[in-house]
This record gives sequence, C-alpha cells and structure tokens, in this order.
Amino acid sequence: MSAVSKRVSNKAGNKNVQAHTQTNSIVHPRYGCMIGAAYSVAAITRGVPIVHCGPGCIDKQYFILCSDNGNQGVGYMGGGAIPSTNIGENDVVFGGAPKLERLIDASLKIMDGDIYVAFSGCSSALVGDDVESITRPYQNSGLPLVYVDAPGFKGNNLIGHELVVNAIIDQFVGPYKGRKKKGLVNLWTEVPYFNTNWRGDLIELKRILEGVGFTVNVLFGIESGGVSEWKSIPKASFNILLSPWVGMDIVRHLEEKYGQPWVHFPSIPIGEESTSAFLREVVEFAGNDKEKAEKFIANEAKQYYYFLEHFADFFSEYWFGLPSRFAVVSDSAYNIAFSIFLADQLGLIPVKHIITDNPPDIYRDKIQELYKHLSEGISSEVEFIEDGYLVEQSLKAADFGSGAPLILGTSWERNIARELGAIFLEVSTPAMEEIVINRSYIGYRGALSLIERIYTPTVNVF
Amino acid sequence: MAKELRQIAIYGKGGIGKSTTTQNLTTALAENGRKVMVVGCDPKADSTRLILGGLAQRTVLDTLRDEGEDVDLANILRQGYLKIRCVESGGPEPGVGCAGRGIITSIGLLERLGAYTDDLDYVFYDVLGDVVCGGFAMPIREGKAKEIYIVASGEMMSLYAANNIAKGIQRYSENGDVRLGGIICNSRNVDREPELLRAFSKELGTKLIHLIPRDNVVQHAEINRKTVIEYQSQSKQSKEYRALAKKIEQNRKFVVPKPMTSDRLEEILLEFGQIDELENYAI
Repeated sequence: MSAVSKRVSNKAGNKNVQAHTQTNSIVHPRYGCMIGAAYSVAAITRGVPIVHCGPGCIDKQYFILCSDNGNQGVGYMGGGAIPSTNIGENDVVFGGAPKLERLIDASLKIMDGDIYVAFSGCSSALVGDDVESITRPYQNSGLPLVYVDAPGFKGNNLIGHELVVNAIIDQFVGPYKGRKKKGLVNLWTEVPYFNTNWRGDLIELKRILEGVGFTVNVLFGIESGGVSEWKSIPKASFNILLSPWVGMDIVRHLEEKYGQPWVHFPSIPIGEESTSAFLREVVEFAGNDKEKAEKFIANEAKQYYYFLEHFADFFSEYWFGLPSRFAVVSDSAYNIAFSIFLADQLGLIPVKHIITDNPPDIYRDKIQELYKHLSEGISSEVEFIEDGYLVEQSLKAADFGSGAPLILGTSWERNIARELGAIFLEVSTPAMEEIVINRSYIGYRGALSLIERIYTPTVNVF
Repeated sequence: MAKELRQIAIYGKGGIGKSTTTQNLTTALAENGRKVMVVGCDPKADSTRLILGGLAQRTVLDTLRDEGEDVDLANILRQGYLKIRCVESGGPEPGVGCAGRGIITSIGLLERLGAYTDDLDYVFYDVLGDVVCGGFAMPIREGKAKEIYIVASGEMMSLYAANNIAKGIQRYSENGDVRLGGIICNSRNVDREPELLRAFSKELGTKLIHLIPRDNVVQHAEINRKTVIEYQSQSKQSKEYRALAKKIEQNRKFVVPKPMTSDRLEEILLEFGQIDELENYAI
C-alpha cells in the first residue's frame, strides 16, 4: 500500500509547545529509574537481579515497567520478587555493605540462576558502598556475579540498560580473541519490559533475520539461549542496533572490545516495505546470499499483501469515522517506528510526535531529522516532553481536523484522548489497560496486528 | 520562666584543640552553676572524654544500631564532672557509610528523646574539622546552634580551614539566624600569633574572643583524662579557660562573617605571619 496523502506538509499541531520543553516537575512518569535496569537482567533466561537500595525502589520499577505496563507478569525471576537489601537509615550511616553481602549469599542459596547482577541504587551509591569489592571475591571464586553502579541520579532505566549490558559483557562474557562466526549476529533493540511488546517483537525480529540466513543472538526473552548465548556475543560477526539511541553505547563498546562492526537502523521496521528494506540492508552489510534472502522476503510479502488485500475492502469502502490524522506519544523507539508506518503505509496525516523517554541531547537532532522524511513529501516536527501536563496541553493545541484523531500513547493519554474523541491505543510505558502476552506490532506480522488494533474501534462503536 | 538556652557550635581544623577547649570551657561554665550539655559531633567520639574521665560512653549511633529506634535517653546521655551532660553522636567505621547522615540522625534522636530540657543554659556542639557536607552543618541549621566559635591558631592551614568554615556560616546565615561569635585562638606559639589572629578576625568581621596560651598542663590533664580545671584548678591555664568562659558568657556581638578570598588570606599571612629577621632564628 502506498501512502495515500502525498506532499502534505504538516503545519498543524506545532503551535504552542516547543521542542525541548520541560517544567521543573513531572506528572505521569513514563520511564523507570536506573535501577529499573534490573528488569533487563530479569529478562535474561535464568538471570537474577539483586538490588542494593531502599525499600520501595525496585517495587516502583516493578509497577512502571512490568505490571502497569501490559501486566507482563513475573515468570521464573523478576516481577515483585527481586532480592533487595531494603536499606534503611542504619545502613546509610554505617554503610550497607554487610547487608548486601548477606543478601548475595542468601540469593545464591535460594534463587537458582545462571547469572546474578548486583545493582547499587541511590542511597548506597551516595554513601559510597563499595559494591565492586563486595562482588569481586564471588567473581574470583568463579560465581557468575556481576555488579553495576546504578543510582537513579545517573539517568533513567534506558541508560541503566546500556550500563548493565556493558557490565555483563565486561565482567561475565569477558575477553575473546577467537574467530568470528559468519552469519551470527547480536541484536540490540527494544529494552525488555520497558518496550511493552518486547517479547513478541523479539520473536518477530529473530524470525525474519533467521529467514534471510542469520543466526541471531536476541539475548533476552524466550527466544534467547540464556547465558550461553551471552557468552557467544564476541563470536558474532557484527551487531545490529535497531533503535534511535538506546544501545548506541553497547555497540560502540562491543566494537572497541571485540572489534565488531555494527549497523544502525534508528527505526524499527513495521510493514512490508520497511521490513523488506531493513532485511535487504542487513543482508547487504553482511554479504549474505541474496537469492536466499529474496526468496524469504518474497514469501513474506506475498503473505502480507494477501492479508492486506482483504483488509483493503474495508479500508477503502468504510466511510464512517476512520481516522485521518494521528499523534504518537511514546518513547523514541516506538515513536519513530509507528510514525513512519502510519504516515507512509496507512497514509495518515502526522500531527503530533511527542517523545517521552528523555533522549540525551546529542541524539535529539538526529531523531528530529528522522521525522523530516516520514514518507515521500511528508515532514513533521517532534517534541521532547516528559511532563504529562505539557503532553496534554500539546495534544489539546493540536489541529486534528474534523474527524476522530488517532492517538497512540500511554495510559496517561487516556483522558485527553477521550476528551478529543480519539481512537486510542496504548502502545508505550505505562500501558495499564492492556494485557500483553506475545503481541507484536512490528515486522511483517506485527504490522497486521497493529492495523487490526487501530481499525477495530472504528467498527466496535457500541 | 524558662531560661534562654544558648546553643553554641565549635568548629575548627582537625587537631586544633576543639574538644579540649570545649570541655575546659564548659567545665568553667559549670563551675559558675550553669547547666551544660556537650554534644560530640565527631565520629571519633572523643569530645567528652575529659569530662567523663574516659571513653566510657556508648554513642547514639551505636546504641541505635544495636537496639533500634527504641532507645532510652539514659542509654546515651551521661553526666560527667560538675554534672555536665555528655552525648557522643558517634559514627561509622572510617571509610564506610555516611558520617554526615549520622550526625543528622543523632541530633534528631536527641530532640525526640527530650534531651533539650528547659533547665539547660548551654548546649555545645563539638563538630569535626570542617563543614564537609550537609550533615556536618546539622548543628548550625535552623533551630539549632545560633552561635559559632571557630578555634584556630596562627598556623596557615588552620586559618584556611577557619576561612572555609566562615563560608559555611555565611551560607547558613542567609536563611537563618546563625552567626559567628568570634575566633578562639588555641596558641601554637607561632610568630606574631596574636597580631595575625586579630587581623584575621577583623577581616572576617568578627573579633578574637580569647587567646589561650600553650601550656603543657593541658597534655598532663589529658593523659589523666581530666580537664585542666579538674586536674589543676588553680593553674594559670585554668584561669585562661575561665576567662574564655566569661567572655563567651558576656559576648553579644554576633556577625555574618565575611570570608576572604585565598589571595587576601595569603596577604594577611604575609603581613603578620612571620617575624622580619629570620637570621636571628636559633634553635
């Protein structure tokens, strides 16, 4: 399907709120703090996070990243059952090291894992608990224990995700001088738990990359081989980074440490056109067998358009309340991916793109640039806002025309979406009113699910 | 009618003699019938040794650590010589934890347990070396000590520290009524010490309250775990401490200090801090 509305420049919706707007307070949190990266460890098969922070710290992360975000559940490890020192005033005054040691010992006994990662939080980092020296004896005795200094004041859970991955690479995976394995790639993309559909998305990404001839280390979730897969990270011939900014520090680190090249796609592909283009580029980068890849792509495209053809009857004939203008309020990875798909493939008119995950300043211009080419002749502006009040103000000020707007956002946009009479979908953290099991909105198959989700409300009006 | 409680904090470079001065000073005040409490705000917990005749006291934080929140005032407050009430906040082992937070916890607990009784005339806080973090500024925060004295000597580093402490006081005086009461010189017998200290105090906008001469009796008394006043009540040094006590009792001049730049401090040191004829120096 080609874009329906060509050469529509987006003048609407950029009236009031400027990019980089920030107040000195934030309502409606949309990410976790650095210790939320414990959930990246929980997403590793048989990975056990251990946190050294105040009571409540990790519980808050559980809510924002896990339960209030698609009700993602606990599973083997994680959820609300992460070992925590729950340090109090005495531990702050006298140092919390002994308590952490006790917790590590207890966790090693009780939690049967393949890798353990100890995180220091704000209070333990402030008073200078030496987590490194606590964990070293365990490491020296061969126990798979990694430490990471992760106080919330250093950044959010996305920065924490990069930190913990690099810590595992340095302290657990270790040095490697051997040969690279052709066809083996490491995939760095969505942040587990934080990106609500990460489980389903990783399944789809692994499926399509395997389809064009790669062996894929996805590293998190059910499709990953757990710690043995992590150990094979250095053997990969290159790294794929599929994210606007999160993971940049990981692939740079791997390049430095193991001499691995990396290929960067700032936008996660949704729909046949961009997914096929993505696969062709990766195949080109790797020098894989193109014929085999094209065969897979052709088959996927055939399936995709078979389904889309049948959807097209509805799409072209149903006249009642289909959305024509859209807004996306989400983290940067999902935001750019959805915006491109909606503008380029569904031909909707972009009105608002609000990025809420506080990307570091150095990436913001590059992210903005991506919105200049959403589709042929379609350019838009992006806003970086973390405060829910300002998000609502921005959406209120937008010109959605006379029809029902389509808003892809978080639970926090539910009220304003109702006020605007919008078709509304929770796609980003937090997504409290969604049950997410293995759903995906990306790649070939996910795109079709996304279309179903967007258009079902237009017929389900009672 | 409740008496007006004067809460006084003593700051100064580490090793300058804050604890010795504070304990002799408070002993002199107690001799005159004043009701005094000394709160040691140093993790080393040696601020009340001379009054108590040894390091016999459990610190607030040790008690809190071992027994939890359910602490009795009698566990942490002991009366020493002349019924001076003594408390040591204590702190973590060197190199771990947060001593500053310890001070905050400790003073908070003293307040909750009702250590600040109406009959008190004075509470002295003997604080370690410098105002290194918010915790060590606890005694001069809102509602605590309003008078500060800085113990210094003619040695350069002690004046650097004193100037730095003055910056802390200036900062806290912006939002509260904490003021500098003066400089106490604990003499090290350096060249032209009185002139230097007077010039330094004047530059800060305050005055040299008293110069305590150097006297070996202080060391003798310390070895015997006593204040000089208890050890040799009629000694010349005891009179010096009594004079200091009298001056502090009568002091009504409290100022917002004007800390100087490092350059200005160096100038004063150059001007007053050495004798002219080094050639005459003989060992």
